[in-house]
Amino acid sequence: MEEWLAVSDRAQKPLELILARNLLTSLSTPAFLVDSDGRLLFYNEAAGAMLGRSFEETGQMDAGEWTSVFGPLGDARDPIPVEELPLTAALRDGRPAHGRFCIRSVDGREHTIEASAFPLIGSDSAESGAMILWWPRADGGEGRG
Amino acid sequence: MKVKIWGARGSVPAPGPQMNRYGGNTSCVQVSLASGEEVILDAGTGIRTLGLGLAPRPTISILLTHLHLDHIQGLMFFSPCFRSDAEITIWGPASPEGSLEERVARYISAPLSPVDIRELPCSISFADTPATEWELGGATIRAEAVNHRGPTLGFRITEGDTSLCYIPDHEPGLGTPLADLEPEWISGFNVAYDADLLIHDCQYTDVEYPDHIGWGHTAVGDVIDFASRVGARRLMLFHHDPLHPDDFLDALHADAQGRWGTRGGDPGALVAAMEGGELVVEPATGEAILMPAGPAPGPGPRL
Repeated sequence: MEEWLAVSDRAQKPLELILARNLLTSLSTPAFLVDSDGRLLFYNEAAGAMLGRSFEETGQMDAGEWTSVFGPLGDARDPIPVEELPLTAALRDGRPAHGRFCIRSVDGREHTIEASAFPLIGSDSAESGAMILWWPRADGGEGRG
Repeated sequence: MKVKIWGARGSVPAPGPQMNRYGGNTSCVQVSLASGEEVILDAGTGIRTLGLGLAPRPTISILLTHLHLDHIQGLMFFSPCFRSDAEITIWGPASPEGSLEERVARYISAPLSPVDIRELPCSISFADTPATEWELGGATIRAEAVNHRGPTLGFRITEGDTSLCYIPDHEPGLGTPLADLEPEWISGFNVAYDADLLIHDCQYTDVEYPDHIGWGHTAVGDVIDFASRVGARRLMLFHHDPLHPDDFLDALHADAQGRWGTRGGDPGALVAAMEGGELVVEPATGEAILMPAGPAPGPGPRL
């Protein structure tokens, strides 16, 4: 039994993450899905189009890894620490959080976006991750390279 | 462990001459453990007949996957509830709406019922299923949330080397292609993995399913994909649609067996649940009966 537990517990995500991924897959709004450690579990095609690389190409990444690849960057194009991102606030406080910053696609283009992060809390009241949707800002900065 | 089907119908009881072979009662499965303890999976209308034949001084555990009416309707007509010598424990999914007893009491109370739970002469208790496995009559029980409308569980019962998985209401293919999905993103994967017998929702044909997307149930093609991906060794189609008479279910069953066989499976290892049907679940040997339709799942040890 212990062996079975070890295999299967590693195998399957919590249901709320599975359903969140299914939702994000069907959205045209760019979106990320992270676990409770900030690990990037999935991003949708709309996000992949903006980032210049599909999720199938990048796969899952730890927080430090994906923030170094995609930014985010502040107004002075300085890296924003992970702990200051909306998703971190959502995970830390269990509440939605919103922010404005730049992200960088793999070809070096920068996109100014607004992002909203929502914590995902399952039926067992445990926080399993967060969903981050973002929108290109209409007031400039889009596609600056 | 022994399994007896007391109700295999989904949604609503569907009695009638065209339903006699598969039966019209809603979800209820009796699992008799080697210890002599009885575990009952769901309390649809099938539990009424089950209760009539139980021994004196019964100690009964009822595992509710969820509280939709077709899974609890028989509870008020379960004769041990009206016996002072009966001890009944009801397990079910937790919900922020209220305790399990409070939510079941919405049904067993006025105006839907002439009696309240507190009036029942039996000894009855309610418990949310724990996040970890627990022991029941020498078996290990595991409950996990699965994709259906409202808090819903799948159960795995393991006794010795034998495992049974029961997921009567489940839509694992909602918005996603099961054949191509990594195991970690498949609802119900953990609880069904490598089961000797998987009893699973098969409410719709593939043709019917597009009109019922998001209703929380599975089409036959997705059932076979799911069973394949989790490596189930035997599959029982369950939760028959109330609009499907016997002849229709015969055809659906034959179609499913054909697809199973196309993948190299033994058609005899795929059955459609029939009310009154009994079987002994034994540990299967060798590799999984079904072969995956899509890309092979990640490497995992056979257990």
